[in-house]
Amino acid sequence: MTWLVWRQHRNQAYVAAVGLALLAVLLLITGRQMASQYDSALASCSPSHSCGNLANVLTLGTPAMYLLVTLTVVVPCLLGLFWGGPLVAREIESGTSQFAWMQGVTRGRWLTAQVGWVMLAAAACGGTVSALVTWWSSPENALKHQNFQPGQFDIQGIVPIGYALFAVALGITAGTLLRRTLPALAVTLVVFTLLRLVIGQDLRARYMTALTKTFGFVHPPALPAGSYWIVSTAVVGPGGQVVSSPSHSSGPGITFGGVSVPVNSMPSTCRTLLFQSPIRFGSCLAAHGYRALIRYQPAGRYWTFQGIETGIYVLLAAALLAVTAIVVIRRDA
Amino acid sequence: MTASSDPAVIQTRGLSKRYRKVTALSDATITVPEGRVSALIGPNGAGKTTLLRLLVGLARPTSGDVAVLGSRPSQSPAFLADIGFLAQEIPLYRRFTAKDHIGIGAHLNSRWDGGSVVRRLESLGIPLGQKVGTLSGGQRAQLALSLTLAKRPRLLLLDEPVAALDPLARRQFLAHLAEAVADDGLTVVLSSHLIADMERVCDHLILLAASQVQLCGDIDTLLAEHEILVGPRKDTAAIERDHTVVQAVHTVRQTTLLIRRGGPVTDPAFEAADVGLEELVLAYMGQQAGPMPPHLTSIGGER
Repeated sequence: MTWLVWRQHRNQAYVAAVGLALLAVLLLITGRQMASQYDSALASCSPSHSCGNLANVLTLGTPAMYLLVTLTVVVPCLLGLFWGGPLVAREIESGTSQFAWMQGVTRGRWLTAQVGWVMLAAAACGGTVSALVTWWSSPENALKHQNFQPGQFDIQGIVPIGYALFAVALGITAGTLLRRTLPALAVTLVVFTLLRLVIGQDLRARYMTALTKTFGFVHPPALPAGSYWIVSTAVVGPGGQVVSSPSHSSGPGITFGGVSVPVNSMPSTCRTLLFQSPIRFGSCLAAHGYRALIRYQPAGRYWTFQGIETGIYVLLAAALLAVTAIVVIRRDA
Repeated sequence: MTASSDPAVIQTRGLSKRYRKVTALSDATITVPEGRVSALIGPNGAGKTTLLRLLVGLARPTSGDVAVLGSRPSQSPAFLADIGFLAQEIPLYRRFTAKDHIGIGAHLNSRWDGGSVVRRLESLGIPLGQKVGTLSGGQRAQLALSLTLAKRPRLLLLDEPVAALDPLARRQFLAHLAEAVADDGLTVVLSSHLIADMERVCDHLILLAASQVQLCGDIDTLLAEHEILVGPRKDTAAIERDHTVVQAVHTVRQTTLLIRRGGPVTDPAFEAADVGLEELVLAYMGQQAGPMPPHLTSIGGER
């Protein structure tokens, strides 16, 4: 069966290998430059103990490269569309299932080999892209502590492997149930995108109960250490009440330690100071008893969250493949 | 002619298949003894493909029993190894070459005679290294048949294998098939909507019409059981009592009957004649299609 799987999918494998090689070359070259840029900046600022401000003054890499790296978020979905969707659907569509399934191997064995190798390739592909992106982003992670942020969390670590496995399993299952490639691709695209949005924007923040921290409007703000992830923010008034949720605030905005301050709801005496000096505006707010509040997931939970999210997608993939196996073996071909 | 005591390779009882509301095959009871080349004949939509798919295990029956080579069609390697099936649309991988297909067969079958495919294609002048999608319909059919035979199956089932072929390719294909049957002594079922194609190679008939089996048996036996009676126009009740009237054609003076004999024909008013295979098949198909319009009957009867 391995021979057949390779013969059927080798062109896809070549395309993927070329794509991966191109990405690797680009990321390795620019990544090395960024790493040395970061190292020399660190070396020049540490004697003067001014490295705390490095994130604001140092820009690593080019916007084009950031765009490219951000776009790797679509890799799992592409694998689901090009590898998963046609795997069973095209055989049924072209009738070749009646050829393949009447040879001397059972449908179960045929499916196991096809799905096994494609899933393995998907994990390898997703893992390689993620490893490259994670390595490439390491100076940026050290500088800006952003690898827990939505967007970055999704393209680094082990979650891309989970996404890739799930996307391919989804494609295979959609193709098996719908028996046609094009509708299967549409369903794969829509379901995968929706699920990623729902889990990323809603569910992920609740994997563990967020911690709460309040801090005064004094510079520098007393923020948590490392790559923490802010889930929600608020400004708390003198009586302990939440002033207004930032999303509903109007008028000029200012953020302090990641907390947006609803300027129009602040005391007018402080507001006049805003355009003279944000620092004096902050200390005015502090003097009036205002404090910033964040609910956040601390940096130490990063790998726990990566593990939970990967686990969710791997379990979903397994459930989908179980459905596929039952349908392929039991349903009329 | 093989003896009638040959063990049954295919045996079904009350076999039915329903797709949602459509009944594709109803209460089919057939027997195909070993060594037969059976023509599965029926108009389009009669249930031929459904029957074949039930026999090879690509579909499951809604009800009824089916035994093929002594077991229920299954996805077990032992069953699959003994069955050669060629689906109607001749499914091959269009972007693969003949060589690739031989490779697939070699890797997916425990018993595989790839050399026979190579020899056959070379003798027919079909290129081994060309993509299957670029071959002609006849070449594809020959390749598919060669691949199916390379499994060395005990039972070969072909669904409308010559329907899409031109007369020359049709002849080559059937010659190829007849050769394989002579060499290996395998049992074959091949479907068609035309009996003319099959008459020369087949010695057994399964006639399907309107999802039901109309006839099943050795062709010689079936022909011997049927008879054409021609006589003066008269009430046929006496004949219907002793025989099964398959088709009755009346003109003003004359009555022509195609009967399945229930015993010797005693009525001296009728003259008996042998029935041809095509005549027999058409009579049973016509019976299913309903009575012929009267104006057609009278034209046909003016002898």
